[in-house]
Amino acid sequence: MEVDLQAVRRVFKDVLNGHMLREQADRWAYAVVREEETGVVTYSPPRERERIWAGVMYLYGIDTMKAPNTYLHSNDDIREAMMAIVGGVGDNLASTILRALERPSQCLAVSEASVLD
Amino acid sequence: MTVDDFRSSIDAASSDVERRPGATTERSALAAVVVPLRQVPPTYPDQRPSPGRLRQIDRAFFGPFFREKYGTGGDKALENGRIRYYGPVQPANNAGELAGRRYVHEFDTMTGCTRGWHETLDRMGNVRQVRPERPNGMMGHYQFDSNGRYKGSW
Repeated sequence: MEVDLQAVRRVFKDVLNGHMLREQADRWAYAVVREEETGVVTYSPPRERERIWAGVMYLYGIDTMKAPNTYLHSNDDIREAMMAIVGGVGDNLASTILRALERPSQCLAVSEASVLD
Repeated sequence: MTVDDFRSSIDAASSDVERRPGATTERSALAAVVVPLRQVPPTYPDQRPSPGRLRQIDRAFFGPFFREKYGTGGDKALENGRIRYYGPVQPANNAGELAGRRYVHEFDTMTGCTRGWHETLDRMGNVRQVRPERPNGMMGHYQFDSNGRYKGSW
């Protein structure tokens, strides 16, 4: 199983915009935790392992209730956690730039090809 | 004993081994392949380890694996040979007396089994609710009052 930062962020967003139930998000995270116990989870990118895991562990139990039919966490709590753990929209651009910087050889190959053309 | 004390005693034990007569040549010949193991005094089979001893074992063997994943909020060695790893408290800002929740992972050093549950804490740090993870996927919320007395579940 591969888990990336975008997937975790997407689950957070889906919960917040109502496209995913909190119970579903909890079970998704639980599946990741179980896979992690067997040691077959890979994190993408690997340098984001801690953030991805923190996001998974937040989502695991996100449907905890304080009373029957009343969730413990408000949407504001979840939004704050998402921003703190996996970042917001602006982080996408930062990740894209970082990814490009991590692959200078590909960039170089493209520019060489452009010159040859 | 603190973690640093324990690490110091391990280092001292390793130094003693290296100072044995004849160990110098052995060491130089095998230096490239021998990885020094952390040394922990033996526990007898019929003796349940004390929490302090359990903590030593945890620091040397299990801790790096479990603590990184589940124990960022702390850990505790129990009398029954189990170690609990606490995740960070995820705050709930509009939940009245409840402060938030955390995931707890428990490792039984005698059997190797693990289990986990979510705890909801009040602002005084008391556990007010427990939600265990069951193998059949069924979950319940078990509530306690501020004195730790069981109130009921749903």
